[in-house]
Amino acid sequence: MPESADVLKVAVAGHTNTGKTSLMRTLTRDPAFGKVADSPGTTRRVEGSRLLAQGRPVLELFDTPGMEDGIALLEFLERLPRPGERLDGPARVQRFLEGPEAHGRFEQEARVLRKLLDCDAALYVIDARDPVLGKHRDELAILAGCARPLLPVLNFVGRPPHRADAWREALGRLGLHVQVEFDTVAPALDGEQQLYSRLATLLDRHRPALAALMADLDRQRRERREAAAGLVADMLVDVAALRLPVRGGEDEQAALAGVRERVRAREQQCVEALLALYRFRPGDYAADPLPLDGTRWGMDLFHPQALKDMGIGLGKGMVAGAMAGATLDAFTAGLSLGAATLIGAAAGGLWQGADRLGQRVLGRLRGWRELTVDDPVLRLLALRQQALARALERRGHAARDPLRLAPPSDEAWRSGPLPEALAEARSQPSWSSLSGRLADSPRREAVVRSLAAALLDAPAPADGG
Amino acid sequence: MPRSGALADHWLAETLRLREAHWGPLDDAHAVRQARLAGPAFQDRVLARARSLGERNGLPATLQGWRRAAAATLAAAAAFAVLAGAGAATAALGDGARPVNILWALGALLGLHALTMLLWLGSFLVGGGEGSWLGQAWLWATRRLARGPDAALAPQALSTLLARHGALRWLLGAVTHAWWLLALTAALLALLVVLSTRRYGFAWETTLLDPDTFVRLARAVGWLPARLGFALPDEAMVRASDGLQALPPGARAAWSGWLIGALAVYGIAPRLLAAAWCAARAAAALRGLRIDPSLPGYAGLQERLCPSVEPLGADAPDGPDAAPRLGRPAGSAGADAVLAGIELPADQPWPPLPLPAGVDCPAVLDTREQRQALLDALSRRPPARLLLACDAGQTPDRGTLALVAALAGLAGDTRIWLLRPAAGPDRTPTWRERLAAAGLAAPAFSAAQDAARWLEHGDA
Repeated sequence: MPESADVLKVAVAGHTNTGKTSLMRTLTRDPAFGKVADSPGTTRRVEGSRLLAQGRPVLELFDTPGMEDGIALLEFLERLPRPGERLDGPARVQRFLEGPEAHGRFEQEARVLRKLLDCDAALYVIDARDPVLGKHRDELAILAGCARPLLPVLNFVGRPPHRADAWREALGRLGLHVQVEFDTVAPALDGEQQLYSRLATLLDRHRPALAALMADLDRQRRERREAAAGLVADMLVDVAALRLPVRGGEDEQAALAGVRERVRAREQQCVEALLALYRFRPGDYAADPLPLDGTRWGMDLFHPQALKDMGIGLGKGMVAGAMAGATLDAFTAGLSLGAATLIGAAAGGLWQGADRLGQRVLGRLRGWRELTVDDPVLRLLALRQQALARALERRGHAARDPLRLAPPSDEAWRSGPLPEALAEARSQPSWSSLSGRLADSPRREAVVRSLAAALLDAPAPADGG
Repeated sequence: MPRSGALADHWLAETLRLREAHWGPLDDAHAVRQARLAGPAFQDRVLARARSLGERNGLPATLQGWRRAAAATLAAAAAFAVLAGAGAATAALGDGARPVNILWALGALLGLHALTMLLWLGSFLVGGGEGSWLGQAWLWATRRLARGPDAALAPQALSTLLARHGALRWLLGAVTHAWWLLALTAALLALLVVLSTRRYGFAWETTLLDPDTFVRLARAVGWLPARLGFALPDEAMVRASDGLQALPPGARAAWSGWLIGALAVYGIAPRLLAAAWCAARAAAALRGLRIDPSLPGYAGLQERLCPSVEPLGADAPDGPDAAPRLGRPAGSAGADAVLAGIELPADQPWPPLPLPAGVDCPAVLDTREQRQALLDALSRRPPARLLLACDAGQTPDRGTLALVAALAGLAGDTRIWLLRPAAGPDRTPTWRERLAAAGLAAPAFSAAQDAARWLEHGDA
């Protein structure tokens, strides 16, 4: 286990308002890190985060205040050597840090340089939309004076227009040939890997630590994906298995409203679980609730337009507005759905089947009926939550724009036959946590697993950024 | 033998997971803190958290009680097996008043066993099931009988846990086979005792079948036991045992040996093998117990138990916002006007407007040298009006504002003209706010004609 002193330390430096804190948020997956605003001098302190792989610290990242006065500082630094004296870069910076201006006009810059001298390398964050100016060159000259490897990170390259080419050329003229593009708001899926592997080319001694970090990030990403599919599958099984008996004389509309309410709450629960999984905590957005794109997201689950938006054909229940999204049928307790039911009953235990047969006969005699959720609603739930999981996977933790769900390109879920797992779930009312009679069984877990696997296999929408 | 400690830990963790999945999360701040002291792996921490949380909620006691109840049920079942086996054996032989009907005795001893064994083997062909119905019925009955939600969760958690690791079918199979083994062994012992202490005659009876059938049957059944040393009645003996003739002296012993051999070889041996096989498979499956982080309840725990990021804190409180302030405008201003651009992008045409006569227009200021040159020029000959063109797409930083302040100190009157970018972010509001904070009271121009008019005529 590396000692704390031996952990790779990297400072995140750059001109003011180029997205240093945003980069920190995205790399640490912590939307609450620091302060982010589109104005200069938002960060006025050095703040760090330690990244761990398998519980071991591998990288310490330090957010620093933006450099704002590079031209004046370089001029000041150049005046520091006494006549006839030669100082190398770090010595010059050291003398500046010991002088009075380090606590005066250049207080912010002094903090950056002090941290940089303490670190092994620095990421120089660039807003690629800005023109390359003399002040940037002077800043880079000052940072280079600390004699630490610099990795320029071109931010805001996701959305043109930007001046990334001009920056690349200018950086090359300064000898900074290893660069990386990393959009903090919409990072590429392998963005972090690229950043760390470029960093490793500059830091040979820390190559194993960075490799371990990359492997761990990869593992985390895979596990998050699987967990997300599991969460969506669990919700689908819950909703598909829901069979709410409507006793004779009870108000159908009230029962229907109850079903809808439960399904909506279940979707919300899934949304919250996905947010937590991808570390977008709703609490972080207390002042500014997580913006979800209004038109598509806010649409009610049982509104026919929501289905049309997702390109799902309307079922019979959808046309009849009053009963939209649910079907009221003769009471079956799940025992009338053909071969899948029989297999399910056999697999789930003959006893349960016999038990439900009794319920069914009893329910029929008493004139009960039951409510189930229609297939189109299941399709909509599956598409919507999958789209949400994908959007969260691609969202940087610095993003503050509304979350936009990519329209699903998944024909299998939109119009193909529903997976067999859902047909089996339909026949098992006790599998639904919405009914209040949930009895977890190994078979339910196996079905959720197979459904999750099917969701993982579903084609991802075209990666348009 | 599976490590019962590991199984108990995983069982507790699974019970807790189901409990939290069904009834919402528990307050686990303390448990999470404790769990982080356990090993570095996620699995160790999940188990540690479950131990700590479970103890607070009395789960180990519930599981212990359930384990005791299950053991008691098993003991009762074992006692029943002994009684049933011995009972079947004595019933098969009867009281000795009549000769024992050989086929009926064989059927009574092995019939039910053979049927259930075939069903169990058949369940492998069907596939997909979780093992014996007997075991399922046991769990189902426990669920029905359990008092309180936690008590029902315990067997549920055990069966999901075992099924997930592929151990449920083998464990239930081992229990079932062990039960049968016990019953058949009891039957064998009872058979030995009764046959040793009573005199029985053996006979086959038929109305329909041919005696040769019995000869073939007796030989077929007795062939395998005979290989192992059990007695096999010879053909004459079988033909003589039709209940109508007096049996030769050795026949009784031969038939007893045949019956005992059939019970041992077709009853006890297969059950013993099956029980051993199931137990070995179950033990192997239980050795591979692990926590699956993709399960719904664990997905959210990952980041809390094994954080991938730790905050390191800040070096010091926020520094002061040292915004530059405008000095007093120069007193002895000349008559001319100057238009200067500050840090404009290279693709910005310069000058951006047709210059009125008498307006001086130096190059765009970017580097230190250009800044110095203009500062020197202005201090030699301060202009009456200085218009500074800035790019509203960039962020107004302290260095730029300091330059604006320094330049403004060298002119009679200074105004800012904000050039809006064709694309990208427009930060005009930030510029206005910063300029106002720096003490530049007059609002910045946004429109070119306003800027040009001011440059030519001033405020008048």
